[in-house]
Amino acid sequence: MHHKREARITSSVISLGDDAQRMIPVAFSVGLVGLGAAAALSIFTGYGGLVRFSYAYLLNFCFFASISLGALFFVTVQHLTRAGWSVTVRRIAEILAMTIIPMLLLALPLVIPVLLGWSGLYPWNAADWTARYSGHVLASVEKYKAYYLDNAFFSVRTLIYFAIWSGMAWFFYRNSLRQDQTGDPSLTLKMQKFAAPLMIVFAGTLVFASFDWEMSLEPMWFSTMFPVYFFAGCVLGGVATTLLIGLLLQRSGRVTDEITTDNFQDLGKLIFAFIVFWGYVAFSQFMLIWYANIPEETFYFGYRFDNTGYRWLSVILLFGHIFIPFLLLMPRTLKRNRRFMLGAALYMLTMHWLDHFWIVMPQYGFDGKHVAQFPFPLVEIVCLVGFSGLFVGFFCWIAADRPLVPLKDPRMSEALNYTNL
Amino acid sequence: MTTTHRPARHSASHPSGGAPAAESRMIGVLGQFDDPAALVAAAEQAHQAGYRRLDAYSPFPVHGIDAALGIRRSRLPFFVLLIGTCGCFFGLFMQWYANAASSSPIFPGYAFIISGKPFWSIPANIPVTFEVIVLSSAFATFFGMLFLNRLPRLANPLHRIARFRRASNDRFFLVIDQDDPHFDRSRTENELLAWGSTGVEPVLQDLTDNQLPSWMKAAAVLLGLFLLLPPVLIYRAHYATNGQPRLHVIPDMDDQYRYKPQALGPNWLVNRLPQYFFVDERVMREPLLGTVARGELRNDSEYFLGIKSAPAGSALRATPNQPEQTEIVSGPRAATVQDPAAIQETAGNQEPAANQEPAANQAGAAAAGQVPAEPEPDWVTEFPSRLTIDEALMRRGRDRFQIYCTACHGYAGDGDGLVNQRAMELAVSNVIEKGTTANATWTQVKSLHDPAVTVQPIGRIFDTISHGRGTMGPYGRQIPTADRWAIVLYVKALQATRAGEPKPEPPVTEGNNPPNGQGG
Repeated sequence: MHHKREARITSSVISLGDDAQRMIPVAFSVGLVGLGAAAALSIFTGYGGLVRFSYAYLLNFCFFASISLGALFFVTVQHLTRAGWSVTVRRIAEILAMTIIPMLLLALPLVIPVLLGWSGLYPWNAADWTARYSGHVLASVEKYKAYYLDNAFFSVRTLIYFAIWSGMAWFFYRNSLRQDQTGDPSLTLKMQKFAAPLMIVFAGTLVFASFDWEMSLEPMWFSTMFPVYFFAGCVLGGVATTLLIGLLLQRSGRVTDEITTDNFQDLGKLIFAFIVFWGYVAFSQFMLIWYANIPEETFYFGYRFDNTGYRWLSVILLFGHIFIPFLLLMPRTLKRNRRFMLGAALYMLTMHWLDHFWIVMPQYGFDGKHVAQFPFPLVEIVCLVGFSGLFVGFFCWIAADRPLVPLKDPRMSEALNYTNL
Repeated sequence: MTTTHRPARHSASHPSGGAPAAESRMIGVLGQFDDPAALVAAAEQAHQAGYRRLDAYSPFPVHGIDAALGIRRSRLPFFVLLIGTCGCFFGLFMQWYANAASSSPIFPGYAFIISGKPFWSIPANIPVTFEVIVLSSAFATFFGMLFLNRLPRLANPLHRIARFRRASNDRFFLVIDQDDPHFDRSRTENELLAWGSTGVEPVLQDLTDNQLPSWMKAAAVLLGLFLLLPPVLIYRAHYATNGQPRLHVIPDMDDQYRYKPQALGPNWLVNRLPQYFFVDERVMREPLLGTVARGELRNDSEYFLGIKSAPAGSALRATPNQPEQTEIVSGPRAATVQDPAAIQETAGNQEPAANQEPAANQAGAAAAGQVPAEPEPDWVTEFPSRLTIDEALMRRGRDRFQIYCTACHGYAGDGDGLVNQRAMELAVSNVIEKGTTANATWTQVKSLHDPAVTVQPIGRIFDTISHGRGTMGPYGRQIPTADRWAIVLYVKALQATRAGEPKPEPPVTEGNNPPNGQGG
């Protein structure tokens, strides 16, 4: 039972192969139809019009972008820490990180209307936007925030983020693929060397992306904890998706020998860790604002806890995003159970989606004082189906018939022989 | 079934010093290995051969050794979960007990209002609860690990084996207990060699010297004495006088660069130059205009002033933060030192100082010379609706009355309190001895049964208590609003006891004894 495994790929199928070619048209069709249906539903059937659709679109855009970014973080941190255990699942994360490149196309429908001056989504794009907060704010807020919340600057920033992330994802993916052919260990050292500065750049861009995309939906509110909160969700989503894809690949008979139970257990541990981290950060953000009790800060939570339906979403997140998975993911036996972890990954992705729903959707219909009732999330779910289709399409397109595990990584042996104590 | 004879106890303490080799017991057999893979392989083979009581020693954690040795998963995680959960509830309980338990028998009195939060609010308790969970889990892990490993041990026979010292450096060892049912010394030794051991030797426990060394006993006694030092020093410091100035270990914490809330002062915090905190040299800001402290909104004129429909803005702005308005609370008497126009504006229908009062007050008003007589305010005649008129309020009123009022007004309200009696005596003696009334400033205290008082609406009585009247001082600052109403209730009850009776003026020199029935 302890015979050292050779660093050799033994699975019969290690790529998507022809299935990728079959999946791509289906996935993109589902994606386009889903997005079209969501748009039609909101615009033509009185589900809130273009504004509602734009909120649903932003919600799903942030959800899937956070998965890509989480995977990008995962890849970077593995190189940064010279991790050996994760080599077998790193390729999945590399492909997931690569989806950030086509995601730029999906960002354009958000950026272009802002650039054209449309304020349906981001209220700060309208002149005199502070007018809606009668009473409790100073008009000078608008003056000072105008430097940052400027539509051209916003658009440029988003393009910069995508340029940096795309470069990072491309750098790691290309060198990893090159190593498949050459087996050159110096490529690993090269990626390790660049991982540290790239991590800093990644952190800096992620902070401002979270400010721009989600926090500026409520331009009056600010929280320096928000990027950390966003980041915790990113990593959770990225790792859960890596785990999910790994399990699904094995179910379809791929990479069955390479990704071991211990790999899945370790991904489960990471999910557990980031559940705790998410809860820690979410609570830290909440408690400081709750304790200081300053109206300019508390109102953000106030209408999320109001009796508008969002209160129940908050309660669901409290229990469903922290307490229940905290207890369920603690036992070792459950983390080593693939069927359970498949359910757990799907469940945590659902919670992560609801987390973004909690961030984005209360802003829909918020007039500065009152929030609209909790909307029946039909548009959002149809939009989610569309985005999922596009995301799967991107994944298959990037993966194509390339290997789903690094073939000649110098630490492959360590990953294959890794056992949890 | 030991493989060596166990010597009798008395032979171990035999005076002949040198320990014979026979006086030792074999614990097991030690096998040395030169690399971790060999150790794991040997452990696996030993387990397969049927050995169950065996242990491995290595300079670093060896992956897979647990499974090779057949070690079951530790119970420690469950233990830690249990203790951590207990820590969670203990942390919550501790904070609830300290902050919110209404009548704790020990350590009471930490129910502070902080930032207007409830005494016991879960969000504020989460950080401490979290820390208690972490602390208790860490303790449970550490001490549980020691307990489950039967540590600490004072001695281990393995440490007497010279080659075993390399177990913390570059050698790996497998020890098979002689308690193992499968154990047979020569066979086990041969098997170990066959599994790749580079050296085999028995582990012997020396039975000749199993007593705690005397230097350890001495050290324990010494340590115990040392542990007594702190309480002794504390005891001494408690009862001794020390002329030395206090030692400031952390001067920045002992002498903080900070100010009292209402002080003026330079800002030493920034660069230790006399820059002021704020341009007006204050160290704190005044509240914004219109700010009302929590629980201090006094917009109910019937309750707070005893007047139906207060003039707009008078009581509403009567916050303690704004001096010209707090004067309202201290009443018309203070009005004489204020700008009359401002008083009229803010006090509105407040009764001017001297109407309907005896001559002394008329003179006071005349001295002020400014305040014109105003019509009586619209006093309330019923108790405000937010009060519950019941036995408890009546008892409260009696208690407050006897604390604040009886000194002058007497227990029955006849105006014959001890202060009045003594003051009148002094006034009389002054007249007799000096033949003058020049310093006779005392005015006979009003009887509450005086017809002029009994006809007063209760709002007026409340106002008198709050703001004073004539020579009577204001009690609004000393007595909370609800208690003042309780006194009003008690006064009305006192008056009701004399309803319909003739009410003679109370004799000045009589009535020394308070009515027993009211003494309570």
